[in-house]
Parts: sequence; structure tokens; C-alpha cells
Amino acid sequence: MATELELSDFLKSVEKRAFKRSIYHVRDEEAALDIVQDSMMKLAQHYGDKPAAELPMLFQRILSNTTLDWFRRRKTRNALFSNMSEFSAAGDDGDFDLLETLESLTNSEGTESSQDATERAQTLHEIELEIMELPDRQREAFLMRYWEEMDVAETAAAMGCSEGSVKTHCSRAVHALSKALSAKGIKL
Amino acid sequence: MMNSTQRNAAVLQDRFALKTASYLSAGTAELPRDISERLRAARAQAVSQRKIAKTQTVSHVVQAGGSAALTWGNDEGLSWWGRIGAVLPLIALVVGLLAINSFQSDNRAQEIAEVDSALLTDELPPAAFADPGFIQFLKINRQAAAVQ
Repeated sequence: MATELELSDFLKSVEKRAFKRSIYHVRDEEAALDIVQDSMMKLAQHYGDKPAAELPMLFQRILSNTTLDWFRRRKTRNALFSNMSEFSAAGDDGDFDLLETLESLTNSEGTESSQDATERAQTLHEIELEIMELPDRQREAFLMRYWEEMDVAETAAAMGCSEGSVKTHCSRAVHALSKALSAKGIKL
Repeated sequence: MMNSTQRNAAVLQDRFALKTASYLSAGTAELPRDISERLRAARAQAVSQRKIAKTQTVSHVVQAGGSAALTWGNDEGLSWWGRIGAVLPLIALVVGLLAINSFQSDNRAQEIAEVDSALLTDELPPAAFADPGFIQFLKINRQAAAVQ
């Protein structure tokens, strides 16, 4: 059973990422705060007696469900139909090269000047915008898999889908992001 | 099986995704102060809710428990039928043991009665078995039979 301190430390370690993730989904700061708060409350009230090791998976699942509930409540037409874009063909991005967007990967290491910091902030802003543009499931899979550093099986369990679907969502998300960032002249 | 091209594509995909994620992680460190404070308050509230949930459970037990009694662990959700079901095997065991005991007693009485009736109806009177001379006679006969 997780102690009060363990629960508090866990929530502290995930709250900011959870907030950003919610913003990418709902694009509303207040709503994102509500979702994160609701998720924290649900975790504490219903699963506060679970072992500390189980909290990350439980929280990811609660956060996803709470976000989904928010969309249901809002009954936003856009949110309901955004998944439709996932049915579009994946093979329409033949002329782009993932390696191209990664070519200056090693150059970004080292000391950072104020100009670098500004560029970095700008890059982050563009990345965030493009992540918000991703279809919901792709965004969710991408963020869980690579940002929350969950493995494919954990992501599949949290999303309630198969591992193959997670791989497909992630692959499409990466290609879409890479293509969009390349189009803006951003190289990571 | 993935071929080398697919493997390279997967590696590139992972590298790109992780690089993107590193930008996102850097972004979370720069959240506005008011947002951080609200998140901190939400966290504190969530943790305190956990406390209240525990306290409520305890007070419930205190209210419910007017007298001390031995119970079968946690009584919540254990109905009377459940208790009867738990005691039933014990009752069956006791009844079974009593039946076996009674059956064995009957059997033993029956055997003794048979021996008694055999002795009484035999040509040899029962008093002969109490005679030391007759016992000696039986022993000698048995030894002679063994020698032969």
C-alpha cells in the first residue's frame, strides 16, 4: 500500500506532464487543470490503498478516461469526429525523409546561448502546436509511449487497444510530426 | 521478422520521437507559477481526500461497534447466509462423527452378542474357559500340533 508521502511524491512527479498532456488534448488551460485535479482525486480516493508501483499505470488510465469524459460532456462535434482522420491512408507521405529532420540532432548538444534558448522555445511551441493537430488516439499513443516512456504493452493496456494499434498510432504520429515540422523548416 | 530497412526506420522513428519528447519535457519545467501553484493545491487536496476516506472508515467502525465480539475477519459483505454456509461443514463433520461412533458401537455390541451366543450354544460350557487345567490342555494340544 502506497503511503501518503509516496502518493504525494508520485502526483508531484506527474502533475506537470499530465497538465501539458491534457492541454494538448483539450486546448483549454482551465479544463486541463480540472481534468488533472479530477484524475488526482480519483486516484487518491479509489486507488490510494494500492501499491506505489501500480500508481503510474492507474493514473495514466484515469487521466485518459477523465479526458474522454470531458469530451463526452462537452459533446464537441470536432472532438467526436477528429478520430475520423485516423482512417485516412497512411501511405500518402512517401516523399518525406525522417532522417532529414534528425540530421542536426548532434548539433543541438552543448552549451546554449540566449539565441539558442529562444530558438528552443520557438521549436517547443511549434512541436506543441503540431501535437495538438494530431488525431486524439495518435497523440495519446505518442505521448504515453515516448513522453511517459511506457512500453508498447503498457500503452496498449492504458489505451484499451492492441499493441499493433499502438505501434500504428505511434508510427503515424511520428511521421505526421516529422512532416509538419520539416514543412516549417524545423529540424530537431 | 523486420529487415534492416524496417529496423533502421524504427530506430529513426524512436530517435525522432524521443527527441521530440525531450523538448516537451523541457517545456514542462517552464510552467507559469500560477499553474504550478494550482497543481500543487490540487495535489494537496487529493492527498487530503485520501485521509478523509480513511477517517470515515474508522468512524463507521466505531459507530457500528457498540460491543466487542469475535468475528470472521471483515464482516462487511458477509451475510447471515454466508455465516451459515461457513458453519455448515462443521455441523456436517460433527453429525458424521456421531453417526460413525454410533455405527461402531452397534457393530461391537453385535460382535460381542454373537460370541456370547456361540459360547452359550457350544457343546463346551463357558465355565470351562475359566478352568486352569483346561487352558493347560489347550496349550499342550497347540504345541503338539506345531511339532507335527
